[in-house]
Amino acid sequence: MNYIIEYQGQLLAGTWVTIRLALLSLVIAVMFGLLGAWAKLSKNYLAQKTAAGYTTIVRGVPDLVLILLVFYGGQQMINSFGGLTGLWDYVEISQFAAGAGTIGVVFGGYMTETFRGAILAIPKGQIEAGVACGMSRFTIFHRVIWPQMVRYALPGFSNNWLVQIKSTALVSVIGLQDVVYNGFVAGRSTRQLFTFMFAVLLIYLVLTAISDTGLRWLDRKYSKGIERSDNG
Amino acid sequence: MSDSTGEEAALEVVDLHKSFGNVEVIRGASLSAHKGDVISILGASGSGKSTFLRCINLLEIPTSGDVYVAGEKIRMKSGGASGNVPEDIHQVERLRARLGMVFQSFNLWSHMTVIENVIEAPVHVLKVPKAEAIEAAEALLHKVGIHDRKDYYPAQLSGGQQQRVAIARGLAMNPAVMLFDEPTSALDPELVGEVLKVMRDLAEEGRTMLVVTHEMGFARDVSSSVVFLHEGKVEEQGEPRQMFNDPNSDRFRQFLSRTMQ
Repeated sequence: MNYIIEYQGQLLAGTWVTIRLALLSLVIAVMFGLLGAWAKLSKNYLAQKTAAGYTTIVRGVPDLVLILLVFYGGQQMINSFGGLTGLWDYVEISQFAAGAGTIGVVFGGYMTETFRGAILAIPKGQIEAGVACGMSRFTIFHRVIWPQMVRYALPGFSNNWLVQIKSTALVSVIGLQDVVYNGFVAGRSTRQLFTFMFAVLLIYLVLTAISDTGLRWLDRKYSKGIERSDNG
Repeated sequence: MSDSTGEEAALEVVDLHKSFGNVEVIRGASLSAHKGDVISILGASGSGKSTFLRCINLLEIPTSGDVYVAGEKIRMKSGGASGNVPEDIHQVERLRARLGMVFQSFNLWSHMTVIENVIEAPVHVLKVPKAEAIEAAEALLHKVGIHDRKDYYPAQLSGGQQQRVAIARGLAMNPAVMLFDEPTSALDPELVGEVLKVMRDLAEEGRTMLVVTHEMGFARDVSSSVVFLHEGKVEEQGEPRQMFNDPNSDRFRQFLSRTMQ
């Protein structure tokens, strides 16, 4: 326990990195997910095929392979391109950017499927009713599709998000000092690996428990018209 | 567009065609509704009557033909092989807001309460202040007899109640014409009456209505004229009693003998 107190600064700093990483990658994943769902449901052939290729690739390859590929491979490519053209000498990709970007893009693939299914679950007649009232496409999205899409997407979204928080642990491999990296370093230097990894485990549990509370609040907020339907 | 009497039609449809792929569903149908007209559109299933109605507010884009709402023509332009497309989507949205639509399957927004459904389009399309919209909505909900359920969600209501809410939602836009697309076809038989009663009340207060229906009693007793569609064309139209008692066309005669048994 004394060791934990001694290293609490590092653990907290690592936790903060993990939280920032998870939130930034979530924002990227949601953006890619919305874009992907829109593309998959659009009538545009090129958009459809691009989105299909995207989800096939990112869902079919281990996250770790993509992280290593982007961080090391991407860096190499950028630098050999810079060397060839003489445009720049040496560029270093930030571990944080590589990690958040890769995890965000990978989970965007899962979000694409979640959002697509959620949009398809909205009865078409409700969208048509909006059209018939003279609503613009934006108003229909904002007032009719979005509130119901969130409700239908929440179970799948919650799943994706919990897996995504845990996936951020992979960035410790490329040297980003997240909670796993810092916990592991502290554990090794004090020879108290069990204590420190157990502390890391508890920190993840706290993070996922907080998320769970938030998600349940969202679920209640967006379940209007559903939950109360059985007592009418 | 003005007709010969010089009075502007609330709705005018001229030589409308609609094809789905190679199948021409509407083959040159015209119709004009003046203020206060209640026009029932009859026809066997597959005659194109719902498609015709859906072309009027451009839920389906007509392949060709013109639609005038309160004298204003919906501007279309050629979209190549697929037929016409709207020239200005903002104009289409503005004119759609002047046509109230009631669907067979109600299509209320399930995440909104009854009153929220009714004020939604006035507030977010017409930009009516919310308090004003609520006041108007409450009056409409009284009119359709469902004010006591204003804070219920659609899933908590019967089909007949949902359809009455849908009618109030359409009326809330203060439309030039109300379009009804088989409003009672999805209802249990014992719930049909309450919806027809509301529609009858609207007809009596002088609402302009276009009603695609299978309710022969409504067509004969309530409407001011009847249009009979057959294979995408207007086969016969006229004053209901005269048409029901002495049909001109064989098709309508056959249709009546099949449906009036």
